[in-house]
Amino acid sequence: MNLSYRIYYVFYRNLISYKRFVLTTFVVSLGQPLFYLITFGIGMGAYMGYFGGKPYLNFLVPGVLVSSVMLSSTFECLYGTFVKVTYQKLFDSLIATPVSAEDAIAGEVAWGAFRGLISGSLMLVVATFMHVYPVSIVNVLLLLVLMVFIGILFGSLAMIVTSFAPNFDFFNYYTELIITPMLFFSGVFFPLDRFPGWMKFFAKFLPLTHAVNISRSAFSGEPSPGLALDFLYIILLESAAFYIGIKLMKRRLIK
Amino acid sequence: MNSKNPVIVAKNLTKKYGNLTAVDGISFEIHEGECFGFLGPNGAGKTTTIRMIHCVSPITSGTVTVLGKPSHIDNREIKLITGVIPQEINLDPDLTVYENLMIFAKFFDIPHIESKKRVNELIDFVELESKRNSKIDELSTGMKRRLLVARALLNNPKLIIADEPTTGLDPQARHLIWERLRSLKSRGTTLLLTTQYMEEAEQLCDRLMVMHQGRILKEGSPRQLISDEIGREVVEIRIAKEEDEKLIAQMADLACGHERVGDTLYFYCRDGHELMKKIVDFNLPNVLNRPATLEDVFLKLTGRSLIE
Repeated sequence: MNLSYRIYYVFYRNLISYKRFVLTTFVVSLGQPLFYLITFGIGMGAYMGYFGGKPYLNFLVPGVLVSSVMLSSTFECLYGTFVKVTYQKLFDSLIATPVSAEDAIAGEVAWGAFRGLISGSLMLVVATFMHVYPVSIVNVLLLLVLMVFIGILFGSLAMIVTSFAPNFDFFNYYTELIITPMLFFSGVFFPLDRFPGWMKFFAKFLPLTHAVNISRSAFSGEPSPGLALDFLYIILLESAAFYIGIKLMKRRLIK
Repeated sequence: MNSKNPVIVAKNLTKKYGNLTAVDGISFEIHEGECFGFLGPNGAGKTTTIRMIHCVSPITSGTVTVLGKPSHIDNREIKLITGVIPQEINLDPDLTVYENLMIFAKFFDIPHIESKKRVNELIDFVELESKRNSKIDELSTGMKRRLLVARALLNNPKLIIADEPTTGLDPQARHLIWERLRSLKSRGTTLLLTTQYMEEAEQLCDRLMVMHQGRILKEGSPRQLISDEIGREVVEIRIAKEEDEKLIAQMADLACGHERVGDTLYFYCRDGHELMKKIVDFNLPNVLNRPATLEDVFLKLTGRSLIE
């Protein structure tokens, strides 16, 4: 692992180019989660009534928020990175400078995480307008930290997929078969209590399940049991994904 | 002119992709302040060789050093002192001309104030003042190539590697790039150039090597290569193949080399004068007597048939 502070330069390059797209990405990264909040939260919520003593929207917001982080960082490190690697040849010019391949890849993951953080923060603002927000400032900070962790995790997982993707279409397998189902198996829209045993067991392996748990605790201020384990699971998976993502992507870049 | 300090030393440098040997155990030295050319057809191993030199492609076996430091994939020191003009235009399309250079300067740890000054100088140097705030896709190919030259100079490199820097350019743009490269050489920068254009090699290179199928076929100055391989003059005669034997026998006492390629019989001579006198007697149509060029050397060494 030949990592250095130059990760920041790669991040900075993305930031400079981002200023031209910033408004369009706001619309895009808010679109889908907002759609979930409105349809499920308000539409379905009207039928659901109270949910654990609070309106359904309060149940829904923490999960949708971490999902929006997941989606943004995933898409950035799938499509965004793929374009830079194959069409723009940007990585070829990067690695001819003192920036190493590892720096470049880690910089992309960091950028994906940042995009996730922006999406999540926007959701937080929107939810606040809907009168749903974490119980304290400390919990807001905790939530922001969580977003960074989830961003790095899903950015790294996406990097692994990008490292062997032959073309854009390949990404559909990952988003349709893994990311979208994860939304429904991780307790974002309904609690997992009434899942049969094997489905509960399966859900425990999904990183989003743990992220949703932490997020929900941050909003409600009631620490759920196993909060530490949730964090531990995310950090372990994230470290592995980050390492493997860099190794595999480096193999694609350097021949 | 050439002090003999070696800048690049390669020993048995080899690169294999699976079963394919792209570079086959080549050894060479490039000296400080000279312009050294890699000449060869597509697939000769030129680009692979330079990618190993500037540390972006792993070496299968053998070694290459840059200013005494061994090249390997993680050597940031070599990348820090090398400027690369790539064959493929890989400018950042999301950024303007100015931003492209400023960001690149950052990659080399150049402080912001220093970068600003250098970027402005370099934009002048490659005559892109009017395009300073243009996006990359608003530039012509010639402008893009000039910007690549400027980008390669940001870190004041001791070594410049130019991989077919004038591919796809019109003659005006090509001459401008040549002129800029010559002016760098006159400042003492060592230049490594790969090219398929013989004129480019003759214009720029002090020494060159002809590569083919991963090996070095010949090495020397352009003039020396021409005189060793071809002589001074070439006589091209477009006649039917059946006439060859008779004609060659007639010229035997003149000590010229000969070669038949397609519809043409070539004679390579020290002095074409005597040969021409004889040929006039035969009263042949379609005869051309011209000075030998690097292109003759290239074609003789790498074969005149198409290389895919």
